[in-house]
Amino acid sequence: MFMAKEDKKQDQATQVAIGEAVGTVAAQSIGEPGTQMILRTFHYAGIESTIATSGLPRIVELVDAKKKPTTPLTYTYLNDNIKNNFEKATDMTKRINEVYLADVAKRVVESFSKGTITIVLNRQEVEANDLTAKQIASKIEKAFNLDTTVEDRRITVNVHTKDLRKIRSTTTKLYESVVSGVEGAGKAVIRQDKKTQEFYVVSAGSALEPIMELEGVDKSRIYSNDIFAMYRVFGVEAARNSLIKELKQTLQEEQGISISDRHLMLLADAMTMSGMIKSVGRHGLSGEKNSVFARAAYEETVKHLINAAAFGETDPMKGVTENILVGKQIPLGTGAVRLTVKKEDLAKLKPKKSKD
Amino acid sequence: MAKKPNQKTYVYLNGRIIGHVADPTAFVNEVRSARRTGNLSGEVNISYMPKLGTVNINTDRGRIRKPYIIVENGKPKFTADIKDRLDRKEIDFNYLVRSGIIEYLDAEEEENALVAFNEAGITEKTTHMDVDLASIFGFTVNMAPYPEHNNLARHAMLANFIKQAEGMYATNFNLRFDSRAYILYYPQAPISTTTPYTSTRMAQHSAGQNFVVAISTYYGYNMADAVVINKAAVDRGLGRSTFYKSYTDEERRYPGGQRDMFRIPPPTAEGYLGEHAYSKLSEDGIIEPEMPVEEGDVLIGKVAPPRFLEESLGASGLEEKIRDDSSTLKTGERGIVDSVVFTESPGATKIVKVRIRSQRVPEVGDKFASRHGQKGVVALITPQEDMPFTPSGIVPDLLINPHSIPTRLTFGYLLEMLAGKAGSVTGQFIDGTAFSEDGTKRTEDCGKMLEQYGFDKYGEEELYDGITGKRFGAKLFTGCIYYHRLYHMVSNKMQVRSRGTVQILTHQPTEGKARQGGLRFGEMERDVLIGYGASLLLKERLLDQSDKTDVLICKDCGAIGYYDYIKKVALCPICRGSNLVDIEISYAFKLLLDEIKSMHILPTIKLKD
Repeated sequence: MFMAKEDKKQDQATQVAIGEAVGTVAAQSIGEPGTQMILRTFHYAGIESTIATSGLPRIVELVDAKKKPTTPLTYTYLNDNIKNNFEKATDMTKRINEVYLADVAKRVVESFSKGTITIVLNRQEVEANDLTAKQIASKIEKAFNLDTTVEDRRITVNVHTKDLRKIRSTTTKLYESVVSGVEGAGKAVIRQDKKTQEFYVVSAGSALEPIMELEGVDKSRIYSNDIFAMYRVFGVEAARNSLIKELKQTLQEEQGISISDRHLMLLADAMTMSGMIKSVGRHGLSGEKNSVFARAAYEETVKHLINAAAFGETDPMKGVTENILVGKQIPLGTGAVRLTVKKEDLAKLKPKKSKD
Repeated sequence: MAKKPNQKTYVYLNGRIIGHVADPTAFVNEVRSARRTGNLSGEVNISYMPKLGTVNINTDRGRIRKPYIIVENGKPKFTADIKDRLDRKEIDFNYLVRSGIIEYLDAEEEENALVAFNEAGITEKTTHMDVDLASIFGFTVNMAPYPEHNNLARHAMLANFIKQAEGMYATNFNLRFDSRAYILYYPQAPISTTTPYTSTRMAQHSAGQNFVVAISTYYGYNMADAVVINKAAVDRGLGRSTFYKSYTDEERRYPGGQRDMFRIPPPTAEGYLGEHAYSKLSEDGIIEPEMPVEEGDVLIGKVAPPRFLEESLGASGLEEKIRDDSSTLKTGERGIVDSVVFTESPGATKIVKVRIRSQRVPEVGDKFASRHGQKGVVALITPQEDMPFTPSGIVPDLLINPHSIPTRLTFGYLLEMLAGKAGSVTGQFIDGTAFSEDGTKRTEDCGKMLEQYGFDKYGEEELYDGITGKRFGAKLFTGCIYYHRLYHMVSNKMQVRSRGTVQILTHQPTEGKARQGGLRFGEMERDVLIGYGASLLLKERLLDQSDKTDVLICKDCGAIGYYDYIKKVALCPICRGSNLVDIEISYAFKLLLDEIKSMHILPTIKLKD
């Protein structure tokens, strides 16, 4: 690769030496400022409906690779032609915003003698979500494969049965059915970027795929704080990058702690290098160490020792923990280098030895 | 949530529901008036919580209660007439409580009360008045003057320091055998005092001395909460104290008719400490009073039967085997035997108590604290001639760093310095009870007293550097303030180790001062060396200076072997071969291998080369 002389110098100067304990240094560099993290977090007052987890709980969530984060958020950016248009952006918000029947219904009446369920809609709510009774009725028809009759703001669903239980279970399902928006997207809010003035949509879920199918969504910029959603949709590299981004954001912007990116990159690399997202700890990285002793020294000592005995494992003694345990010099830092003698040199030595 | 009309108000007695009332206000008033007239115990507290719709009556123990003067119709019941009678000692405090002038409220009943600070603050709605504003603070905080001028967090510290102060904890201290006791040599009553301090007669049991303090740096020796003290003042007895420590031993009886015996153990006894250790004991095996003792000296010689029954008879079958169970002076301790007491337990076994006394002169590392949460460790004891001095020849006892004041907001410290100075020049105690006077008036009063005797009214002095003789560029605030010597002393805490004892199980060094232990090189310290890449230093710490052991490993089968001293050959117990090599491993690892072996798993070690 071509490099200017100065750049090359710089590049060499910042390279890590062989045997440098990068993992330990990274752990210390994240761990020490971590002790100063405060549980008290600052929230912005206002319309923001979702308050994202932050601080130490969020860090723990990321490092433990939780499949479902406590507060998943999706940032939907819009195509260039509509991103500065407030009306179109609001429209997009409404298309994403997940609305349940329970949100728009005023009351639901079951008739066990007729075998029908009557839904009385709340006019204000229906209008606020740009819906009509007919739209809702057709949604129900599609989702449940049932006949409906619409009469002003009254939807009557014919269940075709007089079985008490069936009617009741249909009612509960009806309540939870999505009448508008993207399923799994959660409540959506419109927001404006302070710098670029563009509008974007924030929704409280991590259903990326259905949102991406909507017209007008910039697929290249859609982002979620759910690492697994990013992994599912964009692959492991994207997951790695969003992991770094989330860690950095939590530490730097919310807690005012600045850590060199390299440490976070190393952590994210370690968590994703297998092609999957693995947690740091017993069920992830630490539990998959090569050495029996290193695993036994960490957690579940007996389990690891018994399994090692049952399968006749051999400890390669390549890591740090196991070498400290037995009392050997660790293969790191000054211990990473060995002396070797060239064969030719050895041959030269032989006659001298015989003389002694 | 307002109470609905006709909704019942439930009555709880000590948290248990006992019924309901229709008119809670009337009910509560009735109970209160019964208490005030003496028809009901004064320990009953009742409160009405309209929001919850409950009336709580509490009579159980463990409630914190505070006395208040009852106010009725805008007038406190504690009148001038009653005050006169109280002053003439015709009546006492308990009379006031009995006759419904003062009542105790608990935390719950306080919710129903509107308390005025003083008579001027009484309005129509007022129900109670504070007995004294100082009662806002607790007992310990009221020991300090001017607490209202300090940060509240400092009071929490002050409360702790007062408990740790050396003083005269009991006047019969020389008859007592407390396991540890500290007696200050010249305790003084504080110049700036408080009403609670005098009324509880703390001055008769005081736990400190009045120090002349200048707020000044001293060549960096009082940085970061360190203090510099005057050697001449120390020689005159400043902060000097005696430390008493008691050792107790008992002649126990054991099942089977065996018993302990106080005596000098015979050299045949198990665990005999050597002739020298027992040299200070008298014939009865107990040390004599006024005997200087050092660490390792036996104080109470005692022999005990062996721990296990089989050992009780010696090899000959005739001679009874015994074990040395003497009490020795612990490591790092020294002193003079103060007193020895022989007594008996209720079970008629002999008990010996030995008390050791040692003088504790303030030294570098000892801890001092004022009454404002300002603690400091002695960093330098400097000769009087090197200390700063005033033109009139006053030399401070202690120099505190000016940086200790502003961030901690302990303005009471400055006020006490000023008041202490004013009190010492005029020869009187100055009252500093919380909220008893306005801060400005206090400084003005003290200033007037100081001016009267030719001092600066702000308490500043022109000081001269004792070393160069030059006058300092600025005037320094100098005053007199009460200081406590706290019982944390280096001589009781310091400990060193280079080589020493190891644990039997792991062969690793012991932990703790009592066992001559080392300091733990823990996991985080380990990580530091890993992070630095200092692999050989790490190995030295964790192996060479810890539990290094040589182990023979069979090259053929990898098992741990042994050296047969008769055949003079290393042997492998598994394959019976003699192809073994010597390796260094940690004993803890050997122990792990042994424990694995005990579970019928054979770990083997494969060696390179």
